Amino acid sequence: MIANLLDGIVLGLQFGLLAGGLTLVYGLGGVLNLAYGQMAVVSAMVVVLSMEAGLSPIPAVAVGLVAGGLLGLLLDLTLLRPVYRLHGEARVLLSLLLTLGLAFMVDGFLSWRYPTKALTLRIGGGPVELLGVRMVRGGVVASVITILVLGGLLLFFRKTTLGRAVRSVIEDEEGARLVGIDPQRMLRLILILTGVLAALVAVTRSLVTPVAVTAGFELTVSALIVTVVGGLGSVGGAVLAGVILGIISTVAASSIGTVLSLIILLGAAAVTILIRPSGLLGVEE
Amino acid sequence: MIEDYTEGTGTAVVGGTERRSSRSLVALFWTVAAVGALLSLVPLWLGDSRVMMGVAVLGLTFACYAVGFNLIFGSTGQLFLCVGALAGIGGYGSAILADRVGLPLLLSMVLATVASSLIGGLLSWIAVRRSLGVIFTGIITLIFSLVFGNLLLGAGGVTGGDGGFHIQTGAGTFLRQTIPPYYLMLALLLVYVSAHGLLRRSHIGWAFRALRDDEVAAELAGVDVSRYRVYAAVIGAAMLGLAGSLFAFTEGTISPTTYGFAQIDVETMVMLAFGGIGTLFGPVLGAAVFTIIDELIQDLGQLRLLVYGALIIGLFLWVPRGIIPTLGDLMRRRQE
Repeated sequence: MIANLLDGIVLGLQFGLLAGGLTLVYGLGGVLNLAYGQMAVVSAMVVVLSMEAGLSPIPAVAVGLVAGGLLGLLLDLTLLRPVYRLHGEARVLLSLLLTLGLAFMVDGFLSWRYPTKALTLRIGGGPVELLGVRMVRGGVVASVITILVLGGLLLFFRKTTLGRAVRSVIEDEEGARLVGIDPQRMLRLILILTGVLAALVAVTRSLVTPVAVTAGFELTVSALIVTVVGGLGSVGGAVLAGVILGIISTVAASSIGTVLSLIILLGAAAVTILIRPSGLLGVEE
Repeated sequence: MIEDYTEGTGTAVVGGTERRSSRSLVALFWTVAAVGALLSLVPLWLGDSRVMMGVAVLGLTFACYAVGFNLIFGSTGQLFLCVGALAGIGGYGSAILADRVGLPLLLSMVLATVASSLIGGLLSWIAVRRSLGVIFTGIITLIFSLVFGNLLLGAGGVTGGDGGFHIQTGAGTFLRQTIPPYYLMLALLLVYVSAHGLLRRSHIGWAFRALRDDEVAAELAGVDVSRYRVYAAVIGAAMLGLAGSLFAFTEGTISPTTYGFAQIDVETMVMLAFGGIGTLFGPVLGAAVFTIIDELIQDLGQLRLLVYGALIIGLFLWVPRGIIPTLGDLMRRRQE
């Protein structure tokens, strides 16, 4: 039971990190990026290809993170240009449709070019003892990295001027503009940052299970559901929802099987959305 | 003729409709008849090939799905990302009722269609009651789709799970021959398009247009917006369920991917967006064009997805309203 709980937290933290990226871009720019999972997968493939080219794992991961950031920048400079000209619901819809198209393009290209590739990173050494339970070392390392990154994000948004500027745009775009903050530049910055986060999720996930070429769609849908349950625009909500859903998912999976556990997970998400459409930590409008 | 059926955005079209209503009813009849006559020629051309006729039947099925989705999304702005699931309730429901319970084929089709219709109405009712916007309705119905897919896998004893459901009922009859399924599906499509056309001329159609153009104004004018949303979902879901059910019996074998989200919903949405959301014949045109494109790029394997993605992006960037409204505009401009 405790082992399942810890596994659930490992999974949930990764859900949270992934959803955090999605929710930041939505909160900041009204852009719903349905190619987010694919960004993670592309970064994972960059890591795989770098390692095949002879790089050792740590530099390869660094290359993958840079690739993730570049993907975010590229998205901002190309596909999202026409989206920025719209406002409100039309903006969300167009961003959703264009990035869905991009997701298909990426999926199609990757599964055609590298049909069987997957990223698996292994960390040597035996299991780690935690709360009297033996945990796979990869999972523990993944969680530690994720917690550190989440902590870093929190500090960035609370303590640095740049982070505060980003938050001010989320809360009140007009007001932010009045004090001289350029929302468009903040959005570009956040798109790069979330690209790196997507790459990081791919890397930490690969410490636990292989990240296959086809994983994009599933990653996006999980992130989307966690985001909505946590409350659109709330990173803290995303992490909380991620951990809760992660625990539900692993505990249910071990006791009643994967299919039923997925149904329970989705049901829990649906009920939360219906009871609290603004999400766990979202702002009630 | 084409522009007669694009739903206008302003009051000019609405005001003109009343005067022309008897004339446009005749025009509707002739257009449906012309489209039907044109499509009924396809077996003369492809009738020798079982494979190609299968493709044609699938194309018609998609056109039916697109009409149902159009009624829900195009007319009342509810983003139902569960087209495949609602069709699957019709397909799996009728297959189970006919094969495992032993009900007559027609009765099982009717019951499954009713089930699909009720569930569609229920989803819409929930969305209306909780006043979920476009995105949230989309996510709730997407979750429903995923749950449905997992239920099919989980209840493998009844549904055959991943391996598929081989339907005994109807085997050896005309339903499994090469040509008759095509005409059955074509008849269903023509009924759907006519029903949609007639519906738009009724008071329900007036309410749809009013609430789509300006929800607040419609509410103030006394249109019960939520009731008409649920109506649209009930009718649209019934269309999806019946088409899914008929497809199951003509196909003989169904599996979760027959009604999967990735397989049905995205394609239906693209077809409708291509033809023109809210138009009468957009679903038919979109389904025809994309069925042909799909056939042309058959050999590309996984690259098909890439082509599809590029088409989606190009479509929404350059002809966001769809082909039929864009052509209608061009023709009108030329006349002036």
